[in-house]
Amino acid sequence: MKTLYVEGNTFLHRMSSRVKLLCLAATSVVLFAVQSTPVLGLLCLASALLYLLLRLPPKDAWARLRPVLLTIIVVGLFTLVVDSATQAAVFVLRLTSLMLLAATVTATTGIAEFMDEVTRLATPLERIGLVKASDIGLAVGLVIRFVPEVLARYQAIRDAHHARGLRPRILTLAVPMIILTLRNADEIASAIDARGLRGHK
Amino acid sequence: MLTRDLVLAALFAAIIVVLGLLPPIMLGFISVPITAQSLGVMLAGVVLGAKRGTIAVLLVLLLAAIGLPVLSGGRGGLGVFAAPTTGYLIGWVAAAFVTGFLSEKLVKREQPGLVQGTGFFISALLGGVVVLYAFGVTYLALVTGMGFVKAFLGSLAFIPGDALKALVAALAGRAVMVGYPLLPQRA
Repeated sequence: MKTLYVEGNTFLHRMSSRVKLLCLAATSVVLFAVQSTPVLGLLCLASALLYLLLRLPPKDAWARLRPVLLTIIVVGLFTLVVDSATQAAVFVLRLTSLMLLAATVTATTGIAEFMDEVTRLATPLERIGLVKASDIGLAVGLVIRFVPEVLARYQAIRDAHHARGLRPRILTLAVPMIILTLRNADEIASAIDARGLRGHK
Repeated sequence: MLTRDLVLAALFAAIIVVLGLLPPIMLGFISVPITAQSLGVMLAGVVLGAKRGTIAVLLVLLLAAIGLPVLSGGRGGLGVFAAPTTGYLIGWVAAAFVTGFLSEKLVKREQPGLVQGTGFFISALLGGVVVLYAFGVTYLALVTGMGFVKAFLGSLAFIPGDALKALVAALAGRAVMVGYPLLPQRA
């Protein structure tokens, strides 16, 4: 799986991930507090400039934004029809700025840095006994490890359909895929416990 | 939490990710293309129950947040949480929980197939449609300031498709229960 992180050496790459996330959170509060269209326009412009500072290849830069931008525009048009133009403008500028800033943080922060922050954030939860912070990293690693495997299994089941002249249907695809995948759970769990990856209880 | 439960949740998260990689699939009985990922959320509740299903969905959202393109259409990164439809993503967690909780309550191993299927369908419909839309519509209404009624009317077009997914989830949930029962949770 390719991550959305981009290698680079801009000041945003060097900034600590915690500072970036706190800034993002603070800016989102500001963005939702501001009501004036010109101010939001300026903020949106500033966010766009920040995103452009990353110097992503233009095609990639656009591909990252397109899906979310499209929903913002569609909902913006809907707001324009059912509400006022001001409201639509405020909404579009607000979410577009937020999306640009979020995309900037994503492109400049590696998965390992993110996981460090997530684990740290989970430590208070560990104290009240809700989760084990180290389990989060383990689970994320497991998902990344097994996505290619599940995909290969899906393709095998689809090929089996074709070989028998059947049209692949969601029910006949999903059910064997789920059963075959989950059946491995016991083996994987014993392997994890045998290696003591979750520590002693 | 047992290691087995953790592994089951992680494996199901991988299944939800793979469902998002697939091109929209035709439903068996009607030729409407559907994206399979939101079906995966209902399936997580139906197959794994409340706790493990919720963890599976949380894992998918976590992967998306840390910058992996795991959501349908290759979406990922913190940017997806800045969309007007973010309420639906947040609602996934509640949807999986409610679907799982109701499945655990309504469906018993010894019931006849039709009762089990109906129980799963009710669970998936309440969790994956009613609860999901409550979150999605509320968020949409707040973020655009258009108000609940207009936000609801704007989302109305997607409800039939999701109701169909609940039906598929119920059928698949029962088939999995017959082939590899995971509910009720082994202690």
